[in-house]
Amino acid sequence: MSYTSIMNESLLQIILGIALLTVVFINISKKNSETIIAYGIQSLAIVFILLNLYLETKEVGILIIVILVLLIKVVASILFFNKLIHRHELRFTIRTYCNVPLTFTIVAFLILLAYSSKFIVLTSLIPANQSLISASLAFLFISLFLIVNSKGALSQIFGVLSLDNSIVALAVFTGLEQSLSVQVGILFDLFVWMTIAVIFVSMIYRHLGSLDVTSMKNLTE
Amino acid sequence: MEILITIFLLFIAALLGVITRRRNVIEGFTVIASCIVIICSFTIAFNVANNGQYQPYPFFYVDSLGAILIMIIGVIGLATTIYSIPYLRKETEKGIIGLTRVRQYYTLLNAFILMMYLAITSSSPIFFWIFLEATTLSTVFLISFYNKLTAVEAAWKYLIINSIALLLGFLGTLLFLSGAGQSESNGIVTWQFLIENATKLDPGIAKIALIFVLIGYGTKVGLAPMHTWLPDAHSKAPAPISALLSGVLLNIAFVAILRFKAITDIVTGSDYSQNILIVFGLLSIFISTFIIFSQKNYKRLLAYSSIENMGIISIGFALGGLGTLAGVLHIIFHSLIKSSLFMSVGTIFLRYSSTKIVNIQGVLKVLPITGITLIFGFLVITGTPPFGIFFSKLLLLSVGIEKIPIITVSIVLAMAIVFVGFMKHMSGMVFDEKPRNVETGNENIWLVIPPVVLLCIAFILVFYCPPYLYTLINSVVLNY
Repeated sequence: MSYTSIMNESLLQIILGIALLTVVFINISKKNSETIIAYGIQSLAIVFILLNLYLETKEVGILIIVILVLLIKVVASILFFNKLIHRHELRFTIRTYCNVPLTFTIVAFLILLAYSSKFIVLTSLIPANQSLISASLAFLFISLFLIVNSKGALSQIFGVLSLDNSIVALAVFTGLEQSLSVQVGILFDLFVWMTIAVIFVSMIYRHLGSLDVTSMKNLTE
Repeated sequence: MEILITIFLLFIAALLGVITRRRNVIEGFTVIASCIVIICSFTIAFNVANNGQYQPYPFFYVDSLGAILIMIIGVIGLATTIYSIPYLRKETEKGIIGLTRVRQYYTLLNAFILMMYLAITSSSPIFFWIFLEATTLSTVFLISFYNKLTAVEAAWKYLIINSIALLLGFLGTLLFLSGAGQSESNGIVTWQFLIENATKLDPGIAKIALIFVLIGYGTKVGLAPMHTWLPDAHSKAPAPISALLSGVLLNIAFVAILRFKAITDIVTGSDYSQNILIVFGLLSIFISTFIIFSQKNYKRLLAYSSIENMGIISIGFALGGLGTLAGVLHIIFHSLIKSSLFMSVGTIFLRYSSTKIVNIQGVLKVLPITGITLIFGFLVITGTPPFGIFFSKLLLLSVGIEKIPIITVSIVLAMAIVFVGFMKHMSGMVFDEKPRNVETGNENIWLVIPPVVLLCIAFILVFYCPPYLYTLINSVVLNY
């Protein structure tokens, strides 16, 4: 039984589409609380994708991963970041380098790039999942753009976390998901990373009085 | 057994910083642990030299290159541990740090060494990645150790840039696994399994994967143009940590590139990886060369020198054959010398309280032994004969002049500029008249011994290469 036959491929497309839209939204969002919710939804989409994988394989290991992803990426991250923005009253995100029209233009270009023949080698890993792999690639590119485009430390963190989600999606649709021990290791790394990133955001705020990373100009040649 | 002892001791040493407030206990145990780790490291290296590999348990695998790196971790780990004690005590005396910071330092230092050890001994590329990412997480607070704005800025850049890069490296790693299929009973794909099944990999996928790996792990190596975090991080971290970052961590990340390069070469032939490595290597050499010449901060100077040397190592491995030999020798000598140099400048910083080259004058009068160590370190790192790096560079150039003559000539020019740049900075630092407000003499012997010993090891290795090390180097040349 093929992977996509269990859950309708179009449903997977919708779930991945939601994840993709959330990263586009984070790119243009001006409020930190909205960004956190968007990231939560994005992670939830990843949970559903992994859950679908469990339904296909019936491997207990994957179910454990689903639960861990839900706990770390959805529950813990929302709690962490909500606490952070309330502690420092960080209601608004810092501006981006590109304005909204330019952001949309670049996002459109990145989606076109992901669906172009340049990446046909990648999409041919599992031909049945071609469009899902292309969407995951677009997700990855837009996450990278989010990190580059953002002037705020918090948005950069969400960029890195979105990049991680996009790689999970890509790994699932290209059949590169790893064993339980490996995935637990990766999730543990991610959890520690998230904790450290949150501590650093507080440190940056204490020193700069804002999270605008463009104020970090003290290290020059 | 040696691996488990090492892991256990480093873990306990890291834990001690959390559970006890007794500084002497933490320092003492860390040194004892490092001494035992170095013995275990050399035992493993002997094993690899005799048997070709070391795999006591499925999770661990050490090949010849891994064995060399393990010895480097052992030697530089011990040197930095010994050096850290008087260094931190001096900083405590000056009121720069308190006991809490000291405890944090030893916890993170031991965790950092442990993660590097686990990465290099791991049999699986994915676990290698996990532990390499863990080195980022354990060192980020060491870079922001002084909690100044510049240190936080450096640490943030380090965290974000390396995390993005390592995620891309992870994607590259996954793509390499795509061809291998599922392996072994525990489901963990090992380096050996990847090599054995390399022919199953699609050449197009291998090419894309290598690009991701090079960008990902190359960032951690400090290859240009992804090097931007490195000068900031290395200049803001405490000197012993800079020694470990420059002398060990960069090489550990480079091992990943070399292993994936070996797999790609089987699939696509060596031309593809050779060209990419040469491009990254050249960029690293040229960008750092010009910045070295105009540098104003001596720790950044050494950091850019690391970028330059990583570029040289890349080109060495790209050329293959004797070039690989040059690369391995360069890894060994660069590790020893750069760590020695970072420790020397750490001692200078303790006395002068400045990292600006312009503020450092008359080191030879103020700190005579450190001054001499610095001069020798500078001569070695710039490739002056008859020191080790001279021979590795000579080997590289002799291979390069046959295969890539124009590029090789440009590398010679860059090396000359680096020498002049270092000479310009070092002559002022070492020989000028000392500032009036800086006291002379009274060098702490324990701040002097580690860098001197590292220099001596590098010097002895030029004239005498132990047979087992010779075997390991030969094996690396054959396999990479």
